[in-house]
Amino acid sequence: MSDWRRIDIDAYDPESGRLNREDLIPSYPNQITLQDLQPTISQLRSFANSGDINSAIQLATSDVPYNTDEQTKLQYVYAVLEVLVQVRQADVINIIKGLNSQQQDSLAKFLYKGMSMPEGQKNGGILLSWFEKLTQVAGVTPIVHYLSDRRTV
Amino acid sequence: MSQSLRPYLTAVRYSLEAALTLSNFSSQEVERHNRPEVEVSNSSAELLLQPMHISRNENEQVLIETSVNSIRVNIMVKQSDEIEQILVHKFTRFLEQRAEAFYILRRTPIKGYSISFLITNKHTESMKTDKLVDFIIEFMEEVDKEISEMKLFLNARARFVAEAYLGEFVY
Repeated sequence: MSDWRRIDIDAYDPESGRLNREDLIPSYPNQITLQDLQPTISQLRSFANSGDINSAIQLATSDVPYNTDEQTKLQYVYAVLEVLVQVRQADVINIIKGLNSQQQDSLAKFLYKGMSMPEGQKNGGILLSWFEKLTQVAGVTPIVHYLSDRRTV
Repeated sequence: MSQSLRPYLTAVRYSLEAALTLSNFSSQEVERHNRPEVEVSNSSAELLLQPMHISRNENEQVLIETSVNSIRVNIMVKQSDEIEQILVHKFTRFLEQRAEAFYILRRTPIKGYSISFLITNKHTESMKTDKLVDFIIEFMEEVDKEISEMKLFLNARARFVAEAYLGEFVY
C-alpha cells in the first residue's frame, strides 16, 4: 500500500458526522408506486381537458408525492406541467390567491422543476408568468422554502 | 423592455434575493480553510441547497447554485446564430480576462453556460446585497443589447468591405 497517506480515514469513521445526499432525504414509512398515483394523474388530465385549471392546481399542489422514486415523480411533473401551460393569463393571479402557503411552496417547486427540463423550457414564458404572479402574491417566501426543503418533486 | 423579458428578470431577482443570505462558514474538511462550498467537491451534502433553474426558452437560462457560504450564478446568453455565438464567446472572454476588476466574476464559465458569477460571504459582507442583485440584473439586460448592437455593426462593416472589394471588378 504505497498511497496510504491519501486514504480518507474519516470515511471509515461512523461518528465523523458526514452526510451524503441519501441521508438528507426524509424517510417515509411507505413508498408510493406509479399505480397508486395513476388516478391522480388521470384526474389532473381530465381537469386540464375540461379547462378547470383552478381545481387541477388545487389537486396537484395539495398532496405532492414526495415518497416515491425519480421516475414516478417525473410522470407527475409532466402531468402538472400540462396543466400549468394551459392556463389563461388572466386567471393565474386568482388561482394563486386561492392556494394556502404550503400549496404555494409546492407550486414554486413545480415551477423550478419545470424550468430545468426541456419540456418546460419550451413554455418558459408561461412558467415565468406563473412565477411572477406567485412572487406578487407570496413574495420571496416560497423561494426560501424551496431552497432549504429536501423534499423534492 | 419586451413583454417576456420582465418576468424573466423578476424571477432572477427574487431567486437571487432569496439565495443571497450567506454566512461565514469554515471548511469542515480542512482545518483553517474557508472556501466557497459551492466550488469544492465536498462530502458534506448538507452544505449545498437546492439549485434553481430559471429559463425563458432553450437558449436563455440562468442556473443559480446555492450553498451555505457562496452562490454561483450561471447565465446562458441568447445565441441564435453562429455570429452571435462568436460574439458572445469573445465578449465574455474579454470580461473574464479582467475578472479581478469585477470581483464577483468567475474566470471560466460552467460547462454549457456563457458566463458565471461566484458570490461568497466576503462579497455580501463588504458590498450591499441589493446592489449586487441589481448589477447582475443590469448585466443581463445590457449583454443582450450589446451583442445585438455588435452584430448590426459587424454586418454593416462586412457589407461595406464587400462592396469596396467587389467594386474593383465592376467595369
